[in-house]
Amino acid sequence: MRQRRADEYAEFAAARAGHLYRSACLLTAGDTHLAEDLVQETFGRLYVRWGRVCRVGNPAAYAQTVLTRTFLAHQRRRSSRERATDVFPDLPGSAEGDAPLRLTLMAALARLPAKDRAVIVLRYWEDRSVEQTADVLNVSSAAVRTRCVRALGRLRELLGEDLAEYSRP
Amino acid sequence: MPADQHHDPFETRLAAALRDTGDGFHADVAALTAGGEVRGRRAQLLRRTAVLGGAAGIALAGLGGALLVPGGDSSDPRRSTAAAGPAASASAAPAASFSGDDLLRSLKELLPAPGEFGQESARGTGSGLPPYARLVYDDGGGAAAVGIGLRRVEPGSREVRELTRCPDRTLVDYDDCTSSRLPDGSLLMLFQGYEYPDRREDTKWWNAELVTAEGQHVSLSEWNAPAQKGAEVSRAEPPLSMEELKEVVTAGVWRRVVDAVPDRPGPSATGTPQAPPRTAPGESVGATLAELLPDGLTVVGRGGQESEYAYLVVDDGKGRSLVQINVQPDMSDVADQLYGDAETLPDGTLVTTRKGPGEKGAAGVVMWTADTMRPDGFRVVVTAFNTGAQHQDATRDAPALTVGQLREIALSPRWQALG
Repeated sequence: MRQRRADEYAEFAAARAGHLYRSACLLTAGDTHLAEDLVQETFGRLYVRWGRVCRVGNPAAYAQTVLTRTFLAHQRRRSSRERATDVFPDLPGSAEGDAPLRLTLMAALARLPAKDRAVIVLRYWEDRSVEQTADVLNVSSAAVRTRCVRALGRLRELLGEDLAEYSRP
Repeated sequence: MPADQHHDPFETRLAAALRDTGDGFHADVAALTAGGEVRGRRAQLLRRTAVLGGAAGIALAGLGGALLVPGGDSSDPRRSTAAAGPAASASAAPAASFSGDDLLRSLKELLPAPGEFGQESARGTGSGLPPYARLVYDDGGGAAAVGIGLRRVEPGSREVRELTRCPDRTLVDYDDCTSSRLPDGSLLMLFQGYEYPDRREDTKWWNAELVTAEGQHVSLSEWNAPAQKGAEVSRAEPPLSMEELKEVVTAGVWRRVVDAVPDRPGPSATGTPQAPPRTAPGESVGATLAELLPDGLTVVGRGGQESEYAYLVVDDGKGRSLVQINVQPDMSDVADQLYGDAETLPDGTLVTTRKGPGEKGAAGVVMWTADTMRPDGFRVVVTAFNTGAQHQDATRDAPALTVGQLREIALSPRWQALG
């Protein structure tokens, strides 16, 4: 039993690590060091609660929730940063070289307050509904809508043209 | 997924752009999973994840205390030869409590060689948070962080087995680990690994986990650096050998400390947080901050966000100084991370103060902080800078408020009225 649980956990972690890391990279607007830290923290929390987590039905969604909340708690711990980040985070180059879009998008995300960024990532990267997003963030659906409208407006301002060029059929 | 989600072309493009961008980040899966397991294990042992507020503990001290009567219970062969300090006089008193100083004294007495001590911090059994003692110990071979954490766990539970089971080598890289059952039925794991499993720094982390048959959990850690993270390695290895680590962790005094901790209800079954806490409007936070400022300061700028956060720029005639405040309800879940070394006031409020460099890279900027948390998780953090804006270079030597003044502001009863 114990070994089976441990195996389940290990299998789950290996299967989800990549996706969680990518989510974390978006949440942190490209701060890959922080992203790595958040994912490890998330796995640490899941590890502790695995007995319960594996019974909740959708551990992947649960993990995403933990990641998002860990990220927001991290931002709150830093105390002064719910405001938009005013320094562009460190963006380590990838092997393929950063496409301009990636830089532009990360720069734009970095200018959103943390909670707004979380809303954008949940809604448009995780494809969660407004209600699901509200559950993850522990706020009302109305609050999610408000944040979403505001964040979209800001992103449109910051990268409207870039995305238009980017748009694919 | 809701089909109507992205009807605006911009939203569709944004989603596509996020996908492409997100997919461009490549994870080191092995490092992430290994790091996660290490943190999980450490969370269990340092009790980071289960800091519980409230004072509704059910005292079980009598139950634990009965085991400590000399010669009373065969399950305790009183293996500790080193048990020293305050417990000696408290052994017959089930409701004994231990102060942080008691814990530090016991730890020092148990360390094998005489040495220098510094950076001591500790928490006793009365605060509602798990007791611990930490210090920097130098036996002559280099300063090393040593810490002990204590709590009660459910004997025979899965958690206990995991705490004392060596990690899977395919997940975590370490030098050595043994797990054994001691003659008195306790489980003991002795672990020699690294602070960072990916070894991005050379800090070694050696750790002994003891769980007794009665569910007393003692976690002892040492590093070959004066701090767990962020300090240069000061010696090749941590100061205590595995045998010495075992001596210290099995000392009887620690079991008595655990027994003196009032029991508390466990974490909620679902692990989900409670209803969203009420938050203080940013405007009233700013206004209250202004009213609490010491005399002689003029407010020359102000701002904030819709809730929880506000800032003022003040001037005492010697230049501008930015003062920020965060008022945050329900932060108990991270209390251990924030207030590991904090002072506990008589009412249970945790207080820590810091002086450090600014975070935004401007020249010469320092930030002074008073960070407080009430027993219900209500947190107030006040930070002052020696500049009028964080990203601008320092305009004066020190912030316009002293750490003492920041502390006083943070501890004002007026904040809770806002929440």
